[in-house]
Amino acid sequence: MDTSKYKALYLQETNEHLLGIEKGLLAIEKDPAEASVLDSLFRHYHSIKGMSASMGYEPVMKLSHAQEDLLSLLRSKKLTLTTEITSALLYCLDALKNLVKRVEEDLPLEVDISPFVKRLKSAVEGRPVEARESAAPAELKLSNVMKVEGKVFDDLLATVGDLFMALSSFKSLTHISRSIEFKDSVYLLGKSINSIHHSILSARMLPIEDLTEGLPRVIRDISKQSGKKVELKVEGAGISLDRAILESLGAPMVHIIRNAVDHGIEPLTERMQAGKSPEGNITVRASAKKDKVIIEVADDGKGIDCDKVREKAIKSGVPAERVRAMTDREALMLVCLPGLSTAEAVTDTSGRGVGMDVVKEMTEGLGGALVIESAPGKGTKIIMEVPRTTSIIKTLLVRVEGEPFLIPISKIERVAEVRHEDISDGVLKHNGADLPVIPLGRLLGMEEETESPVYTVIIVESGRDENAGRLIGLRVDDFGDEMEAYIKPLVPPMSKLWGVSGIAVVGDGRPVFLLDLPQIVSKAAHGAY
Amino acid sequence: MSKRVVIADDAAFFRTALREILLKGGFDVVGEATNGADAFEKVQALRPDIVILDVVMPVKNGLEAAKEISLLKLPIKIVMCTSLGYEPIVEEAMKAGACAYIIKPLSETKVLNTLNGLGAQGL
Repeated sequence: MDTSKYKALYLQETNEHLLGIEKGLLAIEKDPAEASVLDSLFRHYHSIKGMSASMGYEPVMKLSHAQEDLLSLLRSKKLTLTTEITSALLYCLDALKNLVKRVEEDLPLEVDISPFVKRLKSAVEGRPVEARESAAPAELKLSNVMKVEGKVFDDLLATVGDLFMALSSFKSLTHISRSIEFKDSVYLLGKSINSIHHSILSARMLPIEDLTEGLPRVIRDISKQSGKKVELKVEGAGISLDRAILESLGAPMVHIIRNAVDHGIEPLTERMQAGKSPEGNITVRASAKKDKVIIEVADDGKGIDCDKVREKAIKSGVPAERVRAMTDREALMLVCLPGLSTAEAVTDTSGRGVGMDVVKEMTEGLGGALVIESAPGKGTKIIMEVPRTTSIIKTLLVRVEGEPFLIPISKIERVAEVRHEDISDGVLKHNGADLPVIPLGRLLGMEEETESPVYTVIIVESGRDENAGRLIGLRVDDFGDEMEAYIKPLVPPMSKLWGVSGIAVVGDGRPVFLLDLPQIVSKAAHGAY
Repeated sequence: MSKRVVIADDAAFFRTALREILLKGGFDVVGEATNGADAFEKVQALRPDIVILDVVMPVKNGLEAAKEISLLKLPIKIVMCTSLGYEPIVEEAMKAGACAYIIKPLSETKVLNTLNGLGAQGL
């Protein structure tokens, strides 16, 4: 078998199995009786063994084989799981990981795995581990810096989310309780939870540098393929972001840069004719704005031809009248239409390539926004605005046609009770100005109930840019508690849902969607409901 | 006409390797399954000439799938594919209706010889 071809696939699948093993081992440590976990652990080791044998990675094969054998003893109940066995398996997992890493880095694999196999054997036989077999610390001094797996913080944060939910139940109890001591305790509890939350959030922060330090290599590889010379500049790399958000920015960033090199930056002769420097320039600039980070990727290439994008959009089925009514800025966003950005022909002529739909989806999935700016002949700038920290935000619970939704408090201007007759033609007089009031239920495509004499209207800011500062009213049934909600991002295919950007589990255990206000407001502003 | 094959293996690694070997050998890979249940469904729907079943798979393993497929009484040759150490299972599968086996690691000659050998049995 020509193994070099399969190495990438090997690494990808093996790493998935290693992750699965880690999860499985931690699960059986908690609940040793769980037979299905043993089955899946067995399969993970078995798969690693099989693939490693085919690739000729003997130490990986032997070590995973030894563990597979142990698992089949456990599966057939010839052996009972002990803490020592789990520890030995975890110990060997680390060794497996290291071996696979050596494969990945093309390092020689002549590693002596006998101590690991021996450790497994002692665990099976119930012998205590000899001191020299277990990993001995290099020196008896503890460092101030701990290496903790990222997942620990994910779990901690999820737990804090649950605490916040429990806290909001307590808070609502304080309204009906007369006990001052109870109210005081709830207040103190709230303070402590907040402070844990802040500590965890700051522990999760990583500088953008951690992401951008890989970029020179990416640019080198891509520009080599296309035969172009590209200079990279990174600014603001010291700004830190939540680890999970930073991680999800990795793929979009590479997409954007690949597009910039492949389709934005012109070939050398074209650049010379246009009086530009021979090498193309790509600038990645990060800046912090309140609780958001703005990451711009700018190139000085040929820019995107708006008219061509419009033309292609119409050809690919977007209604012509809609396309013509769009401003240039809106038309540029058409490159994020899935059909449009994957069409090869568009890639070549409009100067922007595949995958912008994915980039848009990912930034919006993080609760952020994507903006494209482009000047023909001068270059293109892709701007991603994402939150600095994830997940726990202050929200207001509202009801729309009987269904609960969450709205971020930070976006709410105020909440008003409005009489039916005060709204005429969907417009409410508010502080002397006309305030458009949009029935949220209809906008979300829900069945509408009969009219009521009094409406609850949530007044929010109607978006950014040219609309900034203007207000818009969203009509809902009523509103409930203010709560701190741990928002989980939506995973595909749910991430494709329109009008919602996350999900939280509320106090009574029900999942509730977080409304995606930028999306809703922009649809409302276009009267498209 | 080239023989139509369905491949069942939970590892994309092996599916890819098998697919490439089979294409080289002039076989037509008409479907791929990632577990035994999936394999059973694909075999029913696609009616291939040959199905290659990995033994260790999630949901339903290769042995169970082999038993179910042979109960269909279709003119399908079942080939078991596994790593060393599963001879008893392969034997059981052969009793249940499988007609050949391939032991991993895969090699082009091993796979093609086995599958071409099926022809000799009057496929």
